[in-house]
Amino acid sequence: MNAVVDFPVRPEARPYLEAFGRDSLARAGREPDWLTGYRKGSLARFAEFGFPSRRSEAWRYLDLRALEQRPMLPAGAQRGGISAQIRAQLAEMALGRPAYRLVLVDGRLAPALSALEGLPPGVWLGSMAAAITERPELVRAGFEALSLDAARPFAALNTAFFADGFVLDIEPGVVVERPVEIIHLSSGAAQGGSLHTRGLIAAGERARASVIESFAGAGHYWRNDVIELNLAAGAELTRVALIEEAAEAWHFGEMLATLGAGASLSSFVMLLAGRTVRHETTVRSEGEASRCELNGAFLLSGRQEANILTTVEHAAAGGETREVFKGVATGRAHGAFQGRITVRPGAQRVDAHQLSRNLVLGPHASIDTKPELEICADDVKCSHGAAVGDLDEAALFYLRARGIPDEQARRMLIEAFVREAVELVGTPLMREHLLQRISRRLASSEE
Amino acid sequence: MSASSETLQTLRSLARESYKYGFITEIDAEAAPPGLTEDTVRFISAKKEEPAWLLEWRLAAFRAWCGMAQPDWAKLQLTPIDYQAATYYSAPRQSAGPKSIDEVDPELLRTYEKLGIPLREREILAGVAVDAVFDSISVATTFKEQLGELGIIFCSMGEAVREHPELVRKYLGTVVPQNDNFFAALNSAVFSDGSFAYVPPGVRCPMELSTYFRINAAKTGQFERTLLIADAGAYVSYLEGCTAPQRDENQLHAAVVELIAHEDAQVKYSTVQNWYPGDAEGRGGIYNFVTKRGACRGARSKISWTQVETGSAITWKYPSCVLEGDHSVGEFYSVAITNNRQQADTGTKMIHIGSDTRSTIVSKGISAGRGQNTYRGLVRVQPRARGARNHTQCDSLLIGERCGAHTVPYIEVRNPSARVEHEATASRISEEQLFYCRQRGLTTEDAISLIVNGFCREVLKELPMEFAVEAQKLLAVSLEGSVG
Repeated sequence: MNAVVDFPVRPEARPYLEAFGRDSLARAGREPDWLTGYRKGSLARFAEFGFPSRRSEAWRYLDLRALEQRPMLPAGAQRGGISAQIRAQLAEMALGRPAYRLVLVDGRLAPALSALEGLPPGVWLGSMAAAITERPELVRAGFEALSLDAARPFAALNTAFFADGFVLDIEPGVVVERPVEIIHLSSGAAQGGSLHTRGLIAAGERARASVIESFAGAGHYWRNDVIELNLAAGAELTRVALIEEAAEAWHFGEMLATLGAGASLSSFVMLLAGRTVRHETTVRSEGEASRCELNGAFLLSGRQEANILTTVEHAAAGGETREVFKGVATGRAHGAFQGRITVRPGAQRVDAHQLSRNLVLGPHASIDTKPELEICADDVKCSHGAAVGDLDEAALFYLRARGIPDEQARRMLIEAFVREAVELVGTPLMREHLLQRISRRLASSEE
Repeated sequence: MSASSETLQTLRSLARESYKYGFITEIDAEAAPPGLTEDTVRFISAKKEEPAWLLEWRLAAFRAWCGMAQPDWAKLQLTPIDYQAATYYSAPRQSAGPKSIDEVDPELLRTYEKLGIPLREREILAGVAVDAVFDSISVATTFKEQLGELGIIFCSMGEAVREHPELVRKYLGTVVPQNDNFFAALNSAVFSDGSFAYVPPGVRCPMELSTYFRINAAKTGQFERTLLIADAGAYVSYLEGCTAPQRDENQLHAAVVELIAHEDAQVKYSTVQNWYPGDAEGRGGIYNFVTKRGACRGARSKISWTQVETGSAITWKYPSCVLEGDHSVGEFYSVAITNNRQQADTGTKMIHIGSDTRSTIVSKGISAGRGQNTYRGLVRVQPRARGARNHTQCDSLLIGERCGAHTVPYIEVRNPSARVEHEATASRISEEQLFYCRQRGLTTEDAISLIVNGFCREVLKELPMEFAVEAQKLLAVSLEGSVG
């Protein structure tokens, strides 16, 4: 395998290079050449970048040593039927009401659990593996657009290794009324391994849809998910990510979105469970008067570690960005938010606001927040606010004075705090689902 | 014509106005040969007749510096600096030390006069003790006797090393260690001179201490080292102001300022910085890499930084407070103006270590022309800092479509009882306000000046009287060439 590359390979990348060699033998002949080309190219970049150090701004608040020291190599396809455990996970995570559903178990499509019937005309929803043969141009364009840089080594690793994922392709003018649900589950069979999934949503002009992606699982695994969103002029998309991984799991999510003129993206990220969870959103507003709403929250306990990162780049005039992020850390947990809004020269009349509010509730808990503005145009309205503190003593006293026990009163206040952000989710069905998951999480962490 | 395009025109015409304080004083300088090696460090130390411990201290810094790289994390674009091409020591040639002000080289005195600091006038009228630093060596210190009666030591660093070695040795490098960062290490190795002040317990310094720095000899980097100590219950207010002659080459400046406040002590440090910013195309101008840090060592101590930054081609400066003592207070008030191709990456660090510590940050950035203005700040609450409080307010004003304003705050909280708040805004001058002023007969230039002064008011009011007037004048001058 070492013959494939002719530059110094970072030591922590070596095991992945070797795994790729084994993998490519198994994959040989089953994938188009262009894809093999992307995979090899990306792997070479990953080998060159290696793991990011904490000197890298985008990674300064995350401890990657455990992952760096013990490689978690891509898990192969699992055999056997759907276990009862998977069915239980699905029952937990699925939306209560009808939705188009695509389920991925251990990173691969599980047709038996998915429900794709009745999609409106002009909508294509299916697994990434199927899209590679049925929608090659679309998939290829996605790979072409993804720029690989040292701050995103795991996106490169994802391209090299992704086994499956999903593609949602909506033709211009088509409105998908029912929510689209993508559920990622893990059976625990990939013990000590990594799951790489790739998503792609292409919304044509004035198309409209809402998508919720849920992540859950069992055991010790590393999920490395990359999703690209491409919104054409006037398209409207809601994307919600609910991350409730297994207690010992790692989760890195990378979302890259491009907005055309007048397009509108509404994103919500909820980090609830997992040992180490990181979600990064990068939005490039390329068309005039696009609108982007990025909201989210993390609710951490024990020794959990979570990072939410956002970058919004206004390359065109008249754009609007709204961000509200809430963070709660109890126990020995550590949470971080890093948000950046960039206004490129000439992108006049941008209106951007960013808010990061956080609660540090454990004696050993910690929170970092870094809201950043980078402005290179004068006719703008940009602001940000950040706050870190404890629960409001007066509110707590008020509740306790009415006979509510301390623990319960605290839980109520935390829930209300997080709820403020969740309320911003526009799709009622998804909003209710999130609130329910949050309540359950708070109840379980109390036990 | 709309108000803003008119503004831009005024701006363009005025931006060409030359730097008012650009002149060179021709005076014989005794300089070290260019380049930096251990021998340079030894040369400087020998020139200054320093004790062996200080030479060792410098050499340790030099060795640390050799192993360091120039930091690149700031949002600055600069041409690489050739540290071997610079001269690290130059002193105005004077036979013996001046016994009184009358013995000072008249050429030097005239330089100060051009800058509007008539030394003798000040001595009598303003009641300000001026420790004027011309290039590297202090040439005159006034009001020394009066301060001496109170037990206050205010002198040049060189003199302090000779006269009060025990104090210098006890405190030097305790706030900013030799290997703190690249520029601090460089300064520690080659620092030329600077100011030293010690205020004994319970003494309130009756006057504002002040020093004027001025870079003069060509290719001479200036490496001041300032050390101020306020002992228990003492109070001192220190003023620092700078102007530099016009020159076509980037001049390196890497100063270190250390402040120490013991129990119940207060240190107020104010700066007006107006070094040559380079011409409209960004040629020339001072590179200013400064490490300023204060340690609130004792309980209820307070350190307050106020800065008005209008000059320099490059500003890299983060006056910080380490709040060690319980109930100690840190403050940072800043106005930074960048015009033409000036770049400023400035801010502060507030490190909360003691319990019930408080800090306030108010930063006002004004960008015009192609200026790039970055606020970079860190508020860190350590695990044992119970009840820490911070409030940060950070506003940017953009004038012209090619300038940039950036805000990079880091907030790191390790204690649940902390309350940290940060607010930032960025916008251009309100058309409405401009219209209102112009309607009442103000010229665009005056209107902008008025609005900008209002925008900075929160910071300017923190300046001591002596400085407030000068700062406002300076703001107006900077605005003349920049915003109208």
